Amino acid sequence: MSDHGRDPLNLIITGVGGQGNILISKLLGEVMLEAGYWVTIGETYGASQRGGSVASHVRVSKRTQYGPLIPEGQAGLILGLEPVESLRMLGTYGSPETDVITNIRPVYPMAVAIGEAEYPSLETIKEGIRKLSHEAWYLDASEIAIGLGAPLLANMVMAGALIGSRLIPVEEEKFKGKLKMNFEKDRLSLNLRAFSLGVSAMREQRKTFQSERSRKTTARKK
Amino acid sequence: MIAANAPNTCQLLMGNEAIARGALEAGIGVAAAYPGNPSSEIIGTLAQAAKELKIYVEWSVNEKVALEVAAAASFANIRAISAMKQNGLNVALDFLANLNLTGVKSGLVLVVSDDPGSISSTNEQDSRHVAKTLDLPLLEPATPQEAKDMTRWAFELSEEIANACLVRSVTRISHARGNVTLGKLPDGEKRARFDISRPPYASIAATTPVKFHEKLHQTLSRVSEIYERSSFNWFVGPKQPELLIITCGSGWFYSKEAVDILSKEDSIGILKLGTTWPLPRALIERYLLQTKKVLVIEEIDAFLETNLKELSADLASGKTWTFYGKASGHIPPCGEINPNVVIKAIAEIVKVNYVSRGADYHEKSRKIVEENIFPRGLQFCAGCPHRTSFWAIKDALRMDGREGLVLGDIGCYSMGLMSTGFSQIKTVHAMGSGMGIASGLGKVSSFGFNQPVIAVCGDSTFFHAVIPALINAIHSQSDFILVVLDNAGTAMTGFQPHPGTDMNAIGASSPPVNIEKLCQALGVKVIVADAYDVKETTQKLVDLLRDEGKPRVLISRRECALIRAKREKPLYKVQINPDRCIGETCGCERFCTRVFKCPGLIWDKNTKKAKIDEAVCSGCGVCVEICSQSAIVREANE
Amino acid sequence: MGSKACQTLVDDVIKRDLCTLCGACVGLCPYFITHNGRVVLKDSCDLPQGHCTSFCPRVSLDLEEINRAIFGIPYSWQGVGTGKAIFVVRSTKAKIKARAQDAGAVTTLAYFAREEGLIDSAVLTRFEDKSFPRGMIASRKEDILACAGSSYVAAPTVEAFNRGAREDDRKRVGFVGTPCQVLALAKMKGSAEEGRNPIGKLQLVIGLFCTWALSYPGFTQFLQGEVSDPVIKYDIPPHPANVLQVYTGKKRIDISLEHILPFVRPACQVCHDLTAEFADLSVGSGRGEFLEWNTVIVRTPRGMEVVEGAQKKGLIETREIPKENLTRLERASSNKKKKALSNIVQRTGRFDDLLYLKLKAEIAKQLVAE
Repeated sequence: MSDHGRDPLNLIITGVGGQGNILISKLLGEVMLEAGYWVTIGETYGASQRGGSVASHVRVSKRTQYGPLIPEGQAGLILGLEPVESLRMLGTYGSPETDVITNIRPVYPMAVAIGEAEYPSLETIKEGIRKLSHEAWYLDASEIAIGLGAPLLANMVMAGALIGSRLIPVEEEKFKGKLKMNFEKDRLSLNLRAFSLGVSAMREQRKTFQSERSRKTTARKK
Repeated sequence: MIAANAPNTCQLLMGNEAIARGALEAGIGVAAAYPGNPSSEIIGTLAQAAKELKIYVEWSVNEKVALEVAAAASFANIRAISAMKQNGLNVALDFLANLNLTGVKSGLVLVVSDDPGSISSTNEQDSRHVAKTLDLPLLEPATPQEAKDMTRWAFELSEEIANACLVRSVTRISHARGNVTLGKLPDGEKRARFDISRPPYASIAATTPVKFHEKLHQTLSRVSEIYERSSFNWFVGPKQPELLIITCGSGWFYSKEAVDILSKEDSIGILKLGTTWPLPRALIERYLLQTKKVLVIEEIDAFLETNLKELSADLASGKTWTFYGKASGHIPPCGEINPNVVIKAIAEIVKVNYVSRGADYHEKSRKIVEENIFPRGLQFCAGCPHRTSFWAIKDALRMDGREGLVLGDIGCYSMGLMSTGFSQIKTVHAMGSGMGIASGLGKVSSFGFNQPVIAVCGDSTFFHAVIPALINAIHSQSDFILVVLDNAGTAMTGFQPHPGTDMNAIGASSPPVNIEKLCQALGVKVIVADAYDVKETTQKLVDLLRDEGKPRVLISRRECALIRAKREKPLYKVQINPDRCIGETCGCERFCTRVFKCPGLIWDKNTKKAKIDEAVCSGCGVCVEICSQSAIVREANE
Repeated sequence: MGSKACQTLVDDVIKRDLCTLCGACVGLCPYFITHNGRVVLKDSCDLPQGHCTSFCPRVSLDLEEINRAIFGIPYSWQGVGTGKAIFVVRSTKAKIKARAQDAGAVTTLAYFAREEGLIDSAVLTRFEDKSFPRGMIASRKEDILACAGSSYVAAPTVEAFNRGAREDDRKRVGFVGTPCQVLALAKMKGSAEEGRNPIGKLQLVIGLFCTWALSYPGFTQFLQGEVSDPVIKYDIPPHPANVLQVYTGKKRIDISLEHILPFVRPACQVCHDLTAEFADLSVGSGRGEFLEWNTVIVRTPRGMEVVEGAQKKGLIETREIPKENLTRLERASSNKKKKALSNIVQRTGRFDDLLYLKLKAEIAKQLVAE
């Protein structure tokens, strides 16, 4: 288990426009701010709704405020709502110390949907992630969300996985409290369920050592 | 949340939200803007607080009117704010270039949020030059906290000099979220009154402009002195740095982190300026004299860099400095900057070897990404009526056969340039430009021009800038068709209302201006079509194309699929019958996925059939008409 | 191959003014449509080969191959094509004769085939007043009658076959059309393209003699200027009349052919086929003493079955064709072939490049010289 006692914690939450990673990063950021951290979140917007990649850079520190963009190679943790996006972020911001938690359900770009290009196989993506990360965990968050009747809740499942991993300083109860303040009734219970399913799915993985480990690499940076 | 009366609490706010909060803490009464990324959330946030705090917030028809509305409040003793993106500033410029001479009364702050790297714009433009051109004070926040504090203080400065103040932000400030400690919200009544006894806010040829211009220069000198004492300028680092970084705005965080990563805190100093026009000369001189090398970090243009060089040449010190930055090639001349750019520049100047994560990791990752990862193309959402409108336009023009062309404008439908919109659009410039160009092309038949001319614009764009161009085209009897893509809102920037919708910024109902009636009043033939009814819309266009020699308007109307989805269930449940789908054989060749290209349709390479992506399909049912094998079926949702 | 089939059609046929507007490429897929008198490629298909180029009579045409496939004998560049017998024929049905072209033979024979169940539907061409004529598939007698008469304007009738013959409840389909359309159907029969080719349902082809066809909208716009009332019938009486007769409800207007000929489609100038040589039956106007009759060439056993059957039922009268009528017809047909070949050679400048025609240069040279 990696120790993210590093300061700053550099977390990237990535996905495709419309998947709701911005909402997740905002909620997580608020919880950490309330716990006494300096939090900065940078994002890409604009055309992102219409099928483009979207990444939130979440920077958390006890000492000082950091800028909205993570420098190359400095991501400590990547939470991916979409597998190719996870690999893409790893390519630019990853290092041998980066951990990855990712959803495995693809969102097809236009080129693939029209039959002009191939979407890489899950095995290929996993192999790439393995080569470029410290540890990686995979969840079919979309499947879990579809099981709840709401495919869009995959983001909340992944939030649960992230918090369940204990790799960031966010307590489960605090996050649930944040959800209670932001959603009402039916939507709240759905979101809480999705969240809890993500937490337990992640705990399952770590308990039974199903994490895909990469070879131990060089000593970690300071 | 933004209106919370909770001073000294800390919240996670986006830069734009912080700016809005700053305006509220300054006690504004009026806010007006036109949506434009990355500025839209400023007025959007204020609109949410409007009812509770009893302020007036407006989405104006365009940025010039927005600034005029804000200025009006200021003339009448009410503090006001206006916000826009760089292109909006261009639209408001004529008014601003007169307002700076007439001055204002109560505080007036204009926030301009630039889009470095042009993530969502048609151009890349540094708005700060306008401050220098118009002799107006400029402030650049570097953190979300500063965005709030600076905005609040800008109102005080504005009243001190009785003139407008510019606060300039960029995407990375406007959209970054960070810790912001709130201040107090003022209480106290606001009383609006226009003092008709004082000199008019007017500048008239020959008599006043030069006089006011001279006065403006004096005002600017005063501002410069105020800036000398500003807490928005600060320095960190050693007394006599080997290298002095002078930065502003987004450059602050990047520079700080770069120095930290390179472990150069002991030899590199950072002077962060928040007041970037006019420059606080004495302050800058003090730090300049402690070093020989200066690296300027800013975006987009070498604005600060050039002004610093100018200033340094003026100093009576006899010293010279080596300036690094955009002119020296250490910082890219265009595009957005980021921490990596700054790290690289510093490393090169102080001759340090920096490797971000190991050479072989870098090479490995480059290879893996290149082999497996594709860029995501932009496309219209599933169910977007623009897709179907452009489909109808494409079909009608092909049937017409005279190489007709489409002139585009600004909005989601600008994607009519790309394959998602069947590459129909041939020009895109500014708001309303499509209609202006159409007006021109419709008048060159005497030179042998016989290609049909179609201008497209959105409903919001129509009110913003198309109307004058349309009037021009009607009066000059230009030969064109204007297609208004009416999806009931300013969709691209976040579904804001506009004069054609029945709602205003604060959600109250508002009488909509009817586009058909307006066009009819202008004396032009108007036809309305349902954008989802592809057959009918195509036929209407074919008929309009035949009715040449005069102005014609087609309104292709259908609500934005995203707006609708927030309110209602999908219209239909859509499915593909695999027994009827003939896929890639002659007779189809993947027509629905490959040619129509709705993201709700996917080509399954294994079954060799098209299928519906249920997570994406919006249920509009239009693809049922597209399939020539009747393989796609739809069932109405109750 | 590299290039796309649909682009071949656009570049080699349509853009070179060779397109006959038969409609064979339309109705098979969403890419080609007909509009305003033209074939339009609306979107681009990526396939290097397809039905469109296989069926098009102006792509890779091997008359020898087709003749052998249908009749079992070589193609002849003289005369009126392969056949069993030639008659003059007229309908005995007054109602049909009043409405139809000439003696109503086509409509009557189509009726008969339908009555006897040889076909359950017929693909015909329909025009209304001065509109763009289109093909339609009909089962009811009144619809068949409504299609009687020619407007002399080219129509994409094979499109209606492509669409109509696909319908599940149509199992035996007949076709009435011009030589180029009949040629397309003959190509379809021999096409290697499998699966979705509806040609298997085709039971009877009645071809129409044709010298040329007029283009829409050019001719129609001209006519609007000459005839304001709705037109119900057109006719071109035989040489030396040299007029187009236009019948409205009230009167007949004669327009000199000199004004009409500018609207002849350029593609017709390279057409070799006067008498629809690959049909089961080919029908044209009579002349001389049989001016009020139709000339009918019976080419196949199916064609003979229909003529004999209709005669037995008393629906038509038949006579032997007079020798001088036959001689005239054969000469006209041979002249058209020769003209077509020399027009092709004039376009390309060489005998070994006959555009779409698969014919040896020496043979072409010989035929043109005769």
